[in-house]
Amino acid sequence: MEDILEKLTIAVKRGKADKNSPYPPDMKGQEGADELTAEALKMGFTAEEVLQKALVKGMHLIGEDFSAGKAFVPEMLMAAKAMKAAMKHIEPFFKSGSVKQKGTVILGTVQGDLHDIGKNLLGMMVEGAGWKVVDLGADTPFEKFKGALEEHPGAIVGMSALLTTTMVNMKGITEKIKAMNPDTIVMVGGAPLSQEFCDQIGADFYSPDPQGATEFLDGLVQSS
Amino acid sequence: MEHHYTVRLEPLGKQIRVQAGTPLKDILFPYGVEFPCGGKGLCGGCRVKVLQGSVSLDEEHKRALEKLGLKDPWRLACRSRVTGDVTLEIGQFDTFILADSSPFHFHPRPGYGIAFDLGTTTLVAQLVSLESGEVVAVETEVNPQARYGGDVISRIEYAVLQQGADELTRLIREKFAAMTGRLLRKTGGTPPEKILIAGNTVMHHLFCGRDLAPMASYPFETPHGDACRFTAEELGLPADHTEILFLPVLGSFVGGDILAGIVATGLDESEDPVILVDLGTNGEIVVGNRDRILCASTAAGPAFEGTNIHMGMRATTGAISSVTVEGGEIKTHVIGNEKARGICGSGLIDAIAVFLDTGQIDAGGRITGDRERLPLTQEVFLTQKDVRELQLAKSAIASGLHILMDRLGYGPQDISNVYVSGAFGTFINLTNTARIGLLDFPEEKIIKMGNTALLGTKMLLFEDGERVDRILRKTAHLSLESNPRFQDIFADNMMFMP
Ligand code: B12
Ligand code: FES
Repeated sequence: MEDILEKLTIAVKRGKADKNSPYPPDMKGQEGADELTAEALKMGFTAEEVLQKALVKGMHLIGEDFSAGKAFVPEMLMAAKAMKAAMKHIEPFFKSGSVKQKGTVILGTVQGDLHDIGKNLLGMMVEGAGWKVVDLGADTPFEKFKGALEEHPGAIVGMSALLTTTMVNMKGITEKIKAMNPDTIVMVGGAPLSQEFCDQIGADFYSPDPQGATEFLDGLVQSS
Repeated sequence: MEHHYTVRLEPLGKQIRVQAGTPLKDILFPYGVEFPCGGKGLCGGCRVKVLQGSVSLDEEHKRALEKLGLKDPWRLACRSRVTGDVTLEIGQFDTFILADSSPFHFHPRPGYGIAFDLGTTTLVAQLVSLESGEVVAVETEVNPQARYGGDVISRIEYAVLQQGADELTRLIREKFAAMTGRLLRKTGGTPPEKILIAGNTVMHHLFCGRDLAPMASYPFETPHGDACRFTAEELGLPADHTEILFLPVLGSFVGGDILAGIVATGLDESEDPVILVDLGTNGEIVVGNRDRILCASTAAGPAFEGTNIHMGMRATTGAISSVTVEGGEIKTHVIGNEKARGICGSGLIDAIAVFLDTGQIDAGGRITGDRERLPLTQEVFLTQKDVRELQLAKSAIASGLHILMDRLGYGPQDISNVYVSGAFGTFINLTNTARIGLLDFPEEKIIKMGNTALLGTKMLLFEDGERVDRILRKTAHLSLESNPRFQDIFADNMMFMP
């Protein structure tokens, strides 16, 4: 019985979206995350179980490999595709309220910057860790963060920047977010950033990779 | 005991002490000498005349010289190493060499001109006789702005965020005046007709004193990219009447250096579609022919220059510049024949290709087994992160090429030639660049061009402004970030396809 959740975990980690997908080559013809999720639900596992014991676990495993350098952008994107294929089946349960997401995370690449691949990976990992993600896209000014925060009170903000000329824009945005509500948690990241920079601009959290961010987020849930 | 020898370069009057066995290519490259056939010994473009002392010959070199109809005292720089004290005359400065190795046809005019390649890192200026086409004198220096950061973004940062623009402008103009001033002393009092300067967008703005703020954030479009004219007086030069011009920007980060590259490769006059790619930090790419030209900058990053690589370094003495396997054993070539201290871009590409073939790196870029490091010599090794950095850089270039070619409706088979410019491009092994998916074209289509900015600027000394205008009219810049599929294309190109 538990077997199918294990299979689903592997399908997510390896990025096997559905039976027809040619990736990864060594899993050709095997069932993917799509079919396995449908089956698991049919077999009587609750959506909550499928989410926690397979999807979150699979994304956590790929996240660990990514942090260790054993997996890279393409593998992460494939894993995220598999996760999305599985999520289709879980989403109705979010809506009906029978499965609860851990909270809402608002993401955006900072104003002036269009590099969004790192932010997208972060979004996939955060979603894969059981959070609702509101992605504001790239070149995001404060006003957009503000609008999203008003719509999702209590949400956590994640900002990304890849340019040394745009990361400075994080400072003003963080200050304005904190002025709206000093309790709003702001995470920052992107290749040119550092813990030092994060401290300087008054943000709450920095991590060089998405794994660190999901662990931080999980810590927030436990402590509250 | 290691020997050192003295190499004198004429007509430059430069004297350099180097280790025995140092390839002449390593010595001459910084002086703007080009290796038109990429150092294959085929074109003779890199020939040097031995005026004093000797450069020993091996069989292969002898045959190459014979084929080209060259006798003593000529040597091919690309085939030579330093084997004793020697004085060399750089033959290349007699005639211009084009990509196809035919001499460049020019209309002689009286007087002198100066071609100035204003790079982010290095500055090269050549004084050219417009009558004979000869290079009379050369000046090279490090860009004095470099202390405010190596890449263009850090210069923008200093100029815009730290109000350092005036300082950067002053530094570069002073250096320019000093270098051209020294060249002007060699004209026997005749003021030059023309001084043409080529540089990327940021160098253009800083030299011309234009506001860089538009280049600091999205959409990275500048209204100040037009050609910039100066009087000698403005730049503190004694010469009057001289026409001084900084070549215009093509679009966004693609500057006048690439425009000169288009001239040097003849891309704008070619019937068949060709590609020009600069494997530097900005990774500029141009695709097109005489009808239509599209350009972009792919932001490859500095991995090919050895930056962000754990044991990475520039292509200088002590750097592993090539890697091969013989009988299962890894062999490295170290610049300057020294003990390896690190690895430069060309060595990195070779190393990755070798490890892919030996199965120590898999198609996804992962180091196989439980190893953390892949040793190349006793001290020098690659890390997993190095492989990842290379994947980002090579995919940026490959994805840029993919998107531009796609936009123009070209497949790889439609492209007649791929010109590779930049210091780094000259040293790469083409089989390996194809192997790692950086430039996946048949080897015979790829031509290493060296410093195309300098060559093109030199060629433009003999033309009126019209060619530049024609190029500007048919060239468009494409912002790669506007492609909604960028992320998928970028991820695909990170893989190492067998
Ligand atoms: C891909 C790329 C592009 C693409 C971007 C496409 C896109 N949709 O994102 C294109 C080609 C369009 C591009 C354009 C430009 N680029 Co660019 N680009 C790169 C490149 C090659 C890779 C960046 C990348 O995607 N990395 C992979 C991702 C997964 O990593 P990441 O973003 O760092 O994210 C990870 C972490 O940082 C973290 N993370 C990210 N965000 C967050 C947020 C939080 C909250 C947390 C916790 C973690 C986190 O998680 C991610 C996964 O680990 C780098 C060079 C390099 N070799 O790295 C240059 C680079 C970033 N670009 C650079 C530049 C200068 C530009 C341009 C301005 C100029 C140019 N064309 O040359 C333009 C302008 C683009 C714009 N309008 O904003 C420079 C920046 C230099 C500097 N000093 O700031 C770089 C470093 C290259 C260089 N020249 O040195 N670029
Ligand atoms: S013969 Fe040496 S570069 Fe062509």
